Amino acid sequence: MHLLWLRVAAVFYCVACATTLPAVLYRRPRLQRVALPATLGGFFFHFVAIVEMLVAARHWMPVGMHEVESVLSILIVAAYLIVVFTYRATGFGIFALPLGLLLLITPAMGRDHSTFSSPMIRSGWLFLHIGALLAAYAALIFSLLSSLLYLMQEQRLKRKDGPGFLAWLPPLAVMDTIAQKSLVIGFPCMTLGLLAGSLIAQESVGAGYFLDPKVMLSFAMWALYVAMLMLRRSVGIRGRRAVYVSGLAFIVVISVWAANLLSSVHRFPGP
Amino acid sequence: MKPTNITLWGVNHKTAPVEVRERLAIDAASLPELTRQLLGAPGMQECMVLSTCNRVEFLTLTESAEPDLLQFLERHFDVEAKTLSPHMYTYREREAIQHLFRVAASLDSMVVGEPQILGQVKESFAVARSVGAVQASLDKLLRMALVVAKKVRTETQIGSSSVSIASTAVELAKRIFASLEGKQVLLVGAGKMSELAARHLLQHGVAPMLMANRTFDRAVSMAQRYGGHPVRFDDLHAHADKADIIITSTGSHEPIFRREHAQKMLQRRRNQPIFFVDIAVPRDVDPLVNRLDGVFLYDIDDLQSVASSHLSERGKEAEKAERMIQREVDRYQQSLRALDVVPAIVEMQRNFENTRQAETRRLQNKLQSLSAEQRSAVEALTRGLMNKYLHQTVQAMKLAAKEGDAATVKTICDMYEIDPSAAEVVRGNAARPSAPSAIDLERQDGTEADAELKVGL
Repeated sequence: MHLLWLRVAAVFYCVACATTLPAVLYRRPRLQRVALPATLGGFFFHFVAIVEMLVAARHWMPVGMHEVESVLSILIVAAYLIVVFTYRATGFGIFALPLGLLLLITPAMGRDHSTFSSPMIRSGWLFLHIGALLAAYAALIFSLLSSLLYLMQEQRLKRKDGPGFLAWLPPLAVMDTIAQKSLVIGFPCMTLGLLAGSLIAQESVGAGYFLDPKVMLSFAMWALYVAMLMLRRSVGIRGRRAVYVSGLAFIVVISVWAANLLSSVHRFPGP
Repeated sequence: MKPTNITLWGVNHKTAPVEVRERLAIDAASLPELTRQLLGAPGMQECMVLSTCNRVEFLTLTESAEPDLLQFLERHFDVEAKTLSPHMYTYREREAIQHLFRVAASLDSMVVGEPQILGQVKESFAVARSVGAVQASLDKLLRMALVVAKKVRTETQIGSSSVSIASTAVELAKRIFASLEGKQVLLVGAGKMSELAARHLLQHGVAPMLMANRTFDRAVSMAQRYGGHPVRFDDLHAHADKADIIITSTGSHEPIFRREHAQKMLQRRRNQPIFFVDIAVPRDVDPLVNRLDGVFLYDIDDLQSVASSHLSERGKEAEKAERMIQREVDRYQQSLRALDVVPAIVEMQRNFENTRQAETRRLQNKLQSLSAEQRSAVEALTRGLMNKYLHQTVQAMKLAAKEGDAATVKTICDMYEIDPSAAEVVRGNAARPSAPSAIDLERQDGTEADAELKVGL
C-alpha cells in the first residue's frame, strides 16, 4: 500500500514543481496558490507512505536504499516548507522540490530488493545514527543551496540589473540566515549521528573500526563541518567563499555515502 | 422606469495642461458641497467627483437628457466653457466603466502603478456616499472598480517595483538586508536627494541615523531634524563601519570612500554587507569598492537605470492589467444584464402563482372533503409543479440576458404575456442601474412564490 501513497506523493510533488517554477520565475501569484497546497499534499502522503513502509518492514528506521532516499526526500521537503512558512522564500522551491521529487522517484517505482535484515535494525542507537545523519545531510544540502542563491543574488546586485529573470531571488540576509541556521541545526545532528555510529561499531567491530575508509571520511566530514561553522561565526564568510566551503562539504558527504563500497565495517549482508 | 445613462467627464494630465487643471482643482473641504451641487443638476440621479493633482473627473448617472456639465463648471469654477471644452473628454456607458476601472487600477496615472490613486478614489467615493450622491447603481459600480483595482495589484506586478530614485534605493537596501528595521544608516553630506532617501529609510524603521557633514553645525541641525546623531567629518571613517547603509552626497572632488577604507570596514564588520548609495557628482565612493565581496555600490546613474528598467517592466505589466480590465468590464456588464431580467422573471412568477391560486380556489368545493394535511400536500404539489415547469424558462431567460440576446427575452416575455415595461429593461444598455432585486420585490409582495424565485436567481 505504501507504494501507492508514494506515487500519490510523487504526483503531488510533480504538480508542485510544475507550478512553483513558473510561479517563482515569472511571478504568477495564482500558480503559487496551487504550488503550496500541492507541496503540503505531497508531504502528507509521503509521510503516510514512509510510516506504512517502515511498519510493513517491521523496523522504525530507514535502512534500505529506497527507505533512505525516501526519508531524505521528505526531510528536504520539510525543510523547504519551514523556509517558506518562516521566511516566505518560495524561491527555494525551484531547487528543493525537484530534488525532493528526484529522490522519491526510485522508491516510488517499485519494491527495494537491496535492503537487509539484521537484529541491529531494531536498536535505538542505529535509529539515532541513521535519523540524525540524514537530518544533517538535509541541513547541509539546504546550507549549500542557500549559499548558491546568495552568490547569485550578490552577483545580480553587483551587476546592477533591473527586474529580470532573477528578480525572484530572496534578499541576501534571508539566505544568509537560512545557510547559518541550517548549519547550526545540522551540526548536533551530525555529531550525534557519528557518535551513535561509533558506539555501534565499537561494540560490533572493536577499536579497528576507526581505520575503515568510510569511518575516516565521516570524521573528516565532521571536522570540515566544524571548520565551516567556525569560519562562518568568526570571519563571517559569505557569497563565493561560503559556496566553496559548502560545496567541499557536500562533495565529502557524497564521498561518505559512496564509501560504503570500500567499507568493511559499514557493509551489511543482503536479505 | 426611465432609462438612465452613465457618463464620465473630465480632464487629466494627458488632455489638459496644468494651467487648466489647476483652475478646476477642488480641495477636500469643498468636495462634499460641490458633489451636492452637482447632484442638484437637472436630470442627475447619482454622481461622484474625483479630484487629484492630475485629474478632475465627474462620474454621473443621469436620465436620458444629459445635463450641461460645461455650464455647471463655468458657474462653479470661473472658467469659460470654450477654454475647457478642447481639454474635456466624455466617456459613456461601457467606455465610462472601462475608464473608471483603469483610473482606479492606476493604469491612467502619470506614473503607471502608483498606489495613491486607489486611496483617492476611495475618498471621493466616501464623500459622495456621505452626501447621498451615490446610491445603488454607482455604489455597485464603484465597489466593483475598487475590487478590480485590488485584483490588478495582486495579480500583476504593476506596483511592485519602485520608479523614483529614493524608493529604488530603499528597495535595493531591502534586497540586501530583507528588513530595514533597526539598520544603521550613515548620511554623509546634505542634499535634497539624499535627504529624501533618508526620509524613505526612516519610514522603513531604520535606527537613528548618523549624520556627517564638513560643517559640523549642519550635521547637528540635520541630526535634530531627523532625530539622528551628528558625527564630525574627521571621525567619519571611525564610525563608518557601524553603518549598514551609507548615503553620500558631498561636494568633494576626491572620493571619500576608497577600496582600502571599504576593506577595513568589512573586516571590522566581519564581512557583513555594506550598501553605498552615492548620489554625489563627482562621485564620493571609488567605483572599485563595488568589486569587494559584500560591498554594494550604486551611484546616481545606477539608481536611475534601475528605476527606468522598473518603469519599462511596469509597461509590460500594464498590458496584462489592460486585458484584465477588459474582462472585468465584460463581467460587470454581464452581471448587470442578468439582473435586468429580474423584474420580468418576477412578473412571470407572479402570473403563474396567480393562476395556480385561482385554479386551487376553483376546485375548492371538490377539495373540501380533504383533511388539512391533504390540502397542504395538494398545495405543495401544485407549487412544486409550477416551479419545475418555470425553472427551464427562467434559466433560458437568464442565459439570454447574460448574452445580451434581447430577442429571446422578448419572445419569452410575449409567450408568457409579461408586462412589456418589465421586459423593456433588458433592451437597454448594460450600464443602466439595476432593477430592484428579487429580495426587494419579495419584501413588497410578500408572496412565498417570490421567496422561492430568489433561490432560483
